[in-house]
Amino acid sequence: MHRRKFISSSCKICLLGAAGYSVLQSESCSPASSVFKTPITEGNLNVPLNLFDKSALQIVRPNGWYYDVAVQKNADNSYTALLLQCTHQENQLTPTGNGYHCSLHGSNFDKQGNVRKGPAEHPLYHFETSVNNDILNIHINNFKP
Amino acid sequence: MKFLFAVITTLLSLFTVSSQAQFRTNAQNLVLTNEDSLNYGSNKNKTVISGYGNANYQRDFNKEQSTATLERVVLFVGHRFNEKISLFTEMELENALVLSSGESDEGNGGEAEIAMEQAFLKFNLNPQQYFVAGLFLPRIGILNENHLPVNFNGVERPLVEQLIIPATWREIGVGFYGSLNNLPLNYDVALMTGLNSANFEHGSGFKEGRQQGSNAFANNLAVTAAVQYSISDFKFQVSGYAGGTVGLNQRSADSLGLDNGAFGTPLYLGEADIQYARNGISGKVLGVYVAYPDADKINVAYAKNMGSGMYGAYAEIGYDWLYRKQKTAQLITFVRGEILDLNSNLPAEPKGIYDGTEKQAHIIAGFSYLPIPNVVVKADVRLLHTGPQNPALVINPPPNALPYQQNNQFLNIGIGYSF
Repeated sequence: MHRRKFISSSCKICLLGAAGYSVLQSESCSPASSVFKTPITEGNLNVPLNLFDKSALQIVRPNGWYYDVAVQKNADNSYTALLLQCTHQENQLTPTGNGYHCSLHGSNFDKQGNVRKGPAEHPLYHFETSVNNDILNIHINNFKP
Repeated sequence: MKFLFAVITTLLSLFTVSSQAQFRTNAQNLVLTNEDSLNYGSNKNKTVISGYGNANYQRDFNKEQSTATLERVVLFVGHRFNEKISLFTEMELENALVLSSGESDEGNGGEAEIAMEQAFLKFNLNPQQYFVAGLFLPRIGILNENHLPVNFNGVERPLVEQLIIPATWREIGVGFYGSLNNLPLNYDVALMTGLNSANFEHGSGFKEGRQQGSNAFANNLAVTAAVQYSISDFKFQVSGYAGGTVGLNQRSADSLGLDNGAFGTPLYLGEADIQYARNGISGKVLGVYVAYPDADKINVAYAKNMGSGMYGAYAEIGYDWLYRKQKTAQLITFVRGEILDLNSNLPAEPKGIYDGTEKQAHIIAGFSYLPIPNVVVKADVRLLHTGPQNPALVINPPPNALPYQQNNQFLNIGIGYSF
């Protein structure tokens, strides 16, 4: 009896977990798709535009960096590329549904990188972008965080 | 005060020495801003000084007593040694004045302290994972990790996160933090020093048992972990804590009839919370339960009156009236309801005696005005209702003391800053 009940309960938990995972993975719920890792080539991060078909927000990880770059596709088809480094004490930021959060002291930034909650005082660092043959070029140049 | 000045001077001189290798003057280092650092770009290391503070006024209507205090002034000093290793420190002065022993207090005798709130090294593994080691704040509840006055509503911190989760709760240990690649999920796990049950006090839960990195017993340890998930405009978190509360050696513990060891006489805490923010509307819900199954042994050994179970919960909703005007300023009105009970479960008498005053309900309503995200002016009214006082716990009964009143009201006004 106990074993049967245990197996039954375990199966239900597994099904619930799988259902929950599927919901969380769905496009409408996840604020970001998986991280896109890329080297810096001639001062640029080159990101295929089709990555934005799934989600308007794409996290880009330059090889060798300890900070990611968040790229947001805007309603006017322009792109905003932000360095996910808190401008307070340089902690890594995590994306939330409506911006970026620093767990160290609680600074919050909106999707455009503006400060919504201190102690950070300065907006997130923006990189310039351009589009070339279905590739988004994020101009890093010689910048190193 | 001299001591504080000496400590600050020593810290500054230490960091000044470390940053001289960048060929910048001391003054340049002190005024270097975060923005400057970004513009420098190629500089790998730098020192940042920042901080926060708040001053409060409170009117207690039952006592007909008003008080005002510079509650906190906190100085952050951070230093990035290189892109992998950083140092974070916070030194806190509470209530403005610390007297050395023997000095007379010409003020009103408010409790004051100087303490290190955090001092830890951070080791980056990659953009999403890092270790911390030192004195740090575990991710338990909402406030413990994010406790700056500009980041919560109300002049006072939520009572549940003062009494059930004793923020700011810090211990010495090591922690591992990370987030997933393909999901907005953050996680952490940490091993740290446990609590010291000898210092538990009736009326404040296990708050006084925090060791805070000050000659802490390390025979007993604690494990804590948390998971956060952000979905749409919501942020969910669950966190847990399990730790031993007796750090004595075997001989001492045996003499008191206590279980020692890493997780001897354990205390367990479970917490869950949800935060919401969209279009100027914000909301928070938090619930926490603490189980202390061997409270009876502590009560006998140290003549305490600890509960074996305690809980707390609160819900808050706020609205920023300036959000739709796209202003930098924020004017947030809010209301928060809190319930807590420090003795929801008790050891059988005489090892535990129920105290109705530890069962409390609070309603707080007020506003926060932030002309910029780093400065806040706050005001609120708090209504308090408690259970009845247990006559068996009254040492000084009426008419010597005033009769206990189950209802009270407080007016709070405060200012705060962070930078």
